[in-house]
Amino acid sequence: MNDQLKAILEVLIFLSQEPLTVDKMREVLGEIPEDELQAVLQALMAEFSREEHGIQIVRSAGGYLFTTKPEHDQWIKRLLQIEKKARLSVAGLETLSIIAYHQPVTQAEVSAIRSVDSTYSIKSLLQKKLIKIVGRKKAPGNPLVYRTSEKFLEYFGLNSLDDLPREEEIAKILEEEKQTIS
Amino acid sequence: MEQENQGCPEPSEETEVSQQAAGDGYQVKLEFFEGPLDLLLFLIRKKKIDINDIPMAVITRDYLDYLEKKDQINLDREAEFLFIASLLIYIKSQMLLPREQETLAEDDPRQMLIDRLLEFQKIKIASSLLREKEEVELQCWRRTFRPPLEKPDELELLQVSLFDLAETFFLIMKRKERENLRIIKGKDVSAEEKLKEIIDYLGKNGSMDFLDYFSSQDSLEEALVSFFCLLELIKNHLVIATQEELFQTIRVWLRKDKTPHQVHGSSHE
Repeated sequence: MNDQLKAILEVLIFLSQEPLTVDKMREVLGEIPEDELQAVLQALMAEFSREEHGIQIVRSAGGYLFTTKPEHDQWIKRLLQIEKKARLSVAGLETLSIIAYHQPVTQAEVSAIRSVDSTYSIKSLLQKKLIKIVGRKKAPGNPLVYRTSEKFLEYFGLNSLDDLPREEEIAKILEEEKQTIS
Repeated sequence: MEQENQGCPEPSEETEVSQQAAGDGYQVKLEFFEGPLDLLLFLIRKKKIDINDIPMAVITRDYLDYLEKKDQINLDREAEFLFIASLLIYIKSQMLLPREQETLAEDDPRQMLIDRLLEFQKIKIASSLLREKEEVELQCWRRTFRPPLEKPDELELLQVSLFDLAETFFLIMKRKERENLRIIKGKDVSAEEKLKEIIDYLGKNGSMDFLDYFSSQDSLEEALVSFFCLLELIKNHLVIATQEELFQTIRVWLRKDKTPHQVHGSSHE
């Protein structure tokens, strides 16, 4: 195992503002065999996942990122004197889910699925940069078309859109709910 | 316009609260529901109805009962609930119409409603799964500041899209509009000259403050032309536009790998 490379990667991930991608690592480090890089990253992640560490390396939005572990949340809140972090509203989350699963999608399409006017929710999600405008649809009125952003993936701790809860997962929960009702 | 239910309980708690309240005979407030489909799904569950075989008369009556229980009138919200009410009644009327042939399964007038409900149900579950992920992520803290850097122009800035640029432009136009109410000018502005002017300015100063530059334009027309020139420059990859935060000013930089000569053939340094 290449200890020096491991130390350098630790530094790069620590200092990077966004989740550090493998491409970016290559850009900084020059050519490194893929399997060596992957092995070192795996070792690094495994090391920090041990209980003696309060900080972990997670895969997020296609890169690697240092975060604190969830179980230490209360200590951080005490230190920073924060009660609770703001969460998305029910309407906002609903709108975001629709955009995530139906993207690229227009405001009218989102509103139709919800049967609720979603102009405000979309505006608020845009401001939070969780969604982005990707163009206009070639349809009457040329409405704006929305997609989820990189920040969306980071916010929910997803590595890519493939990590969204799958159709089967949702169907399973529906089935369970049905059984508890009847 | 929908309401942002910031202080509202969780979807799961919400249903619990509603069901509890419903025990005392329909004491549920419309405000608990995110929208008409939410209410409809709640009624269907409460009656333990199979979503694929909804007794329209029963559900329509229940639904309308809820609408009548409202405390206050919020027209926008009301309209959304009424729209679905009319849809329910329409479907019921379609089902009552005598038909020459036996109704085929795919001709079921309820199908449209069923599809919408199923899709909405999926979204509700996806939402709750994402909520769980959000909950975990909110407990994982990360650094949000950058290491301090020496020079301000080494700051990592966001690439902005044309839409951000347009947004900022309209902000300025609104300001300019007010300023220009009294001024009548007949000056012609040529796009080519403006293009040169911008490149000169960038060559001399390195970068440009989008807001400042456009505010310094003499007339609406001139500001307009400069904006289109800027878009043109971006399109041709001659400049980079960056913005630190949404709705803030946009900085424009000349791309280092390209000189204005390549495209313009002008003789500026």
